[in-house]
Amino acid sequence: MKISCPKRYKNIFWSRLVRRVTQGWSDSPQSFKVGSVLLVFWVVVAIIGPHIAPYSPSQIGTGRPLSGISWGHPFGLDQLGRDVFSRVIHGAHIVLFLSITSTFCGLAVGALLGLTSGFIGGWFDEIIMRLVEALISIPFLILAMLIVAVAGPQLSGNSFLIICAVSIVYLPRTARLARAASLDIITKDYIMVARMRGESTFSVVRREMLPNATGVLLVEFATRAGFAPVLIGSLGFLGFGMRPPTPEWGLMISEYRELIFLAPEILAGPGIALATLVVGLNLCTDGLARIFGRSGRGAKS
Amino acid sequence: MNVQPILSIQDLRVSFRTTEGILDAVDEVFVEVFEGEALGLVGESGSGKSTLALQCLGYQHSKALTIGGSVNLKGRILNDLSFDQLSELRGKQVSFVPQNPTTALNPAKRISQLFMDVVERHNVSRSSKAAEQLIVDLLSKVGLGDMDTILDRYPHQLSGGQQQRICIAIALICSPDLIVLDEPTTGLDVTTQEQIISLLIQLKSQLGLSMLYVTHDLALLSQIADRVAVMYAGQIVEIAQTERLFKKPLHPYTEGLIASIPQVHSTEHATKGKQLKGFLRRTDLSMGCRFSARCDQVRDSCKSNRQNLVLVKDAHLVACERWDEVDSSSQSRGTVIDRPETEQICGESNHRRQDSGPILEVNNLSVVYHGVVPRVLKLLTTPPPPAVADVSFQINRGRVFALVGESGSGKSTIARAIGGIIVPEQGAIRFEDKVVPALVGSRTRENRKNIQYIFQNPDASLNPRMRIGETIARQVEVLDGCESAKLRRRVEMVLSEVQLDGGYYYRYPDELSGGERQRVAIARALVVNPSLLLCDEILSGLDVSVQANVIEVLRQMVSERGVSILFISHDVAVVRELADEIGVLYKGRLLETGTKTEIFSEPYHPYTKMLLNAVPQVGRVPNEVVTEEIQDRPLEVTNSCVFSQRCKYCIEGLCDQSLPPLQKFGGSHYIRCHLDSSGLRNVQ
Repeated sequence: MKISCPKRYKNIFWSRLVRRVTQGWSDSPQSFKVGSVLLVFWVVVAIIGPHIAPYSPSQIGTGRPLSGISWGHPFGLDQLGRDVFSRVIHGAHIVLFLSITSTFCGLAVGALLGLTSGFIGGWFDEIIMRLVEALISIPFLILAMLIVAVAGPQLSGNSFLIICAVSIVYLPRTARLARAASLDIITKDYIMVARMRGESTFSVVRREMLPNATGVLLVEFATRAGFAPVLIGSLGFLGFGMRPPTPEWGLMISEYRELIFLAPEILAGPGIALATLVVGLNLCTDGLARIFGRSGRGAKS
Repeated sequence: MNVQPILSIQDLRVSFRTTEGILDAVDEVFVEVFEGEALGLVGESGSGKSTLALQCLGYQHSKALTIGGSVNLKGRILNDLSFDQLSELRGKQVSFVPQNPTTALNPAKRISQLFMDVVERHNVSRSSKAAEQLIVDLLSKVGLGDMDTILDRYPHQLSGGQQQRICIAIALICSPDLIVLDEPTTGLDVTTQEQIISLLIQLKSQLGLSMLYVTHDLALLSQIADRVAVMYAGQIVEIAQTERLFKKPLHPYTEGLIASIPQVHSTEHATKGKQLKGFLRRTDLSMGCRFSARCDQVRDSCKSNRQNLVLVKDAHLVACERWDEVDSSSQSRGTVIDRPETEQICGESNHRRQDSGPILEVNNLSVVYHGVVPRVLKLLTTPPPPAVADVSFQINRGRVFALVGESGSGKSTIARAIGGIIVPEQGAIRFEDKVVPALVGSRTRENRKNIQYIFQNPDASLNPRMRIGETIARQVEVLDGCESAKLRRRVEMVLSEVQLDGGYYYRYPDELSGGERQRVAIARALVVNPSLLLCDEILSGLDVSVQANVIEVLRQMVSERGVSILFISHDVAVVRELADEIGVLYKGRLLETGTKTEIFSEPYHPYTKMLLNAVPQVGRVPNEVVTEEIQDRPLEVTNSCVFSQRCKYCIEGLCDQSLPPLQKFGGSHYIRCHLDSSGLRNVQ
């Protein structure tokens, strides 16, 4: 039988994907469902938030400062009379953008570095891995603060700097993970085939190794992305992150913490937002880890 | 034969819930095993034989579901027993010998502990003294009696054959009524396999064991089984006494299986019946006879009517409604789709050889694996024994050179050195009259294109995340630049050459069967039009019928494209089918080289003869070797014959003291042995 219509196979591919996703949804644990609902909620808020927010985040005097919760101001008003609800909504896309971008950058560079290091091996591998271990030995927050401090005052508050700092914190950890994954992958014969074909190192890493490490890397991405808002928030809280009046949640918590006895409601807004986002990301991550642990294309027999 | 069977499986139906739907792994199977009888269960992979074997222990996969029928072991119906009752029964009344002893024995426990686990679980003996005596008795029964230290060893300190003997001994602890053996020799070398088989035959006659022997190797069953049941797609299609089954197979599938057995000793290739076509695909089975899709004798009623086992004669049952017709037309059909005679192909290639020199010459190749010792320390430590020592041979254009040897003989090492993956310690590789650099990185693109390597395991050699088309196309892009418009066409062409549909372009490897995957791997090598193919054990792991199919593809490549092949295999029978010249390798040394006819006729090297004798053949009794294989003590490879420890003809003081000379016996036949020509002629 000759089938000359490749489209049919593409359709099969898509229908299988849809079936896998729908079946995956019904089979997935309850925590994953809760997590993804929370995550989807925040993504939607980040996208449409700026258009539906009643006030601009920096608009002063939208009401009497610290006047408590009301229908017009569900999260209350801060000491300058800014609407906390609007600030939280506007902050969502900043926090999400910063977390996802920085995690992605750190992961991408780390993964390529780790896979290449594992593939080349020898002295190259030794040197890269010792450097990576040296970086890992410095705690998360201290390393991030160091990077911001080294960059100097004229760059502080720059979102690009925050992304760099978080990426560099994540890079060595991802590199280690990717290298561990590569040690298994390089024993496979298809790597040998690629070598015998005379592929360049980069080509082997990108074409042969990276697709086979995606399962591990996706789970890693989700875990790291779940922690990134906390890290960025902490940096903001300590004054190493975004500068006021950016409505970044960590910065907001830091600004409002002195008013905790006067107006606890304005602290609750960004606090709950940050908490739900982190919980959502973590539950989602956990579910993803289980789903990918259960079946990946590579793992299927 | 007793009237009451020990094991009786009635209308058993086991299904698996998969993403594709419900799949009947075992479908209304009826099997009986009588006391003191060995029942062989044979079938291709995916036929449900392992599922059935596990059912005999009341065990099933967590996704499996018993839909109907019963397993009756000595009057107890296993389906009704509780978990506690079952675990009391397993190991005591029915025991299991697994396929792979290396993973079946817990590597963290000593051999004595492995025995005691079973002894304690089933309270076999009251005192530890009695238990020890029991274990020592068992060890001598399985031919490990004279190894005093064996009980203190760990499994990894034993060879594969010894490990399997331990597994058998453990299965015998409680003198069970039935032993279920699931492919117990599949992972072992032929010579070790022969030892295990003769041990089982001996145990069967001594202890009156009842066995259910599951395997895919029909030739092996002809030696050990009293009756054979042939299974296809979850159904038993034929059961008969072994002799009768081989003499008069009634089901077309059985006939095909018997025809697929490669022959070592007979030179009569023309008498072979037709081969099986296609392979078992669980997804497209017809409502009626499940074999109908692959059967040449199929007619419409086969596809619609369910085929039930009918008694023919003398307990010979067959599930084919046309058995009487099939029987009568057997002779005439045999010649219809006869394969071309091998001799004929040889003649052709002989003809070709005259106008073509060698394509590959390997001169004095030695390879040493240094392990993880840093380069600085290499000078200080004593070098490890070479994996390959002083190997020379040449492959002529359009010819198939086969390297035969057991595991650990260095076959793959040689291929890898030629392929440029490992650096040889010594020696040169000349390809197309030019010395090629040792490592693939420093070879020219032309070299890399012309030497293509096909790996043993297609699961590992195909990137699971790449579509078949991408995998093959990439080979062309890198090695043989091609316009992207033509690329697609070229990939589809090569796919059709290995008898795969062009639509496979978009599939992923895990959507293919093992045989299809191996053909994709072959296609990937062929797509760049290489002049030399290195085939590293590419057939082990495939079913017999699929093997025959792949051999056919390779043959075509040789005859149509004039490709030369280095064919590496442990399977003497397969080598005989395909090779023009053969090299026999043992522990990294070539012991004998020559053309096929020279290797398969006198004079023989003692090792070659031993290999040939060990291959299971229909209707031949295995040799009475129950002696344990000799432990490999460190050996001064540089000045003794590597085979001297296992050789029956070993001359004390000569063979273990000096390197054997290379003797020439006419033509291209070389034997490396101390025996003189009359001695070699008398090797039995």
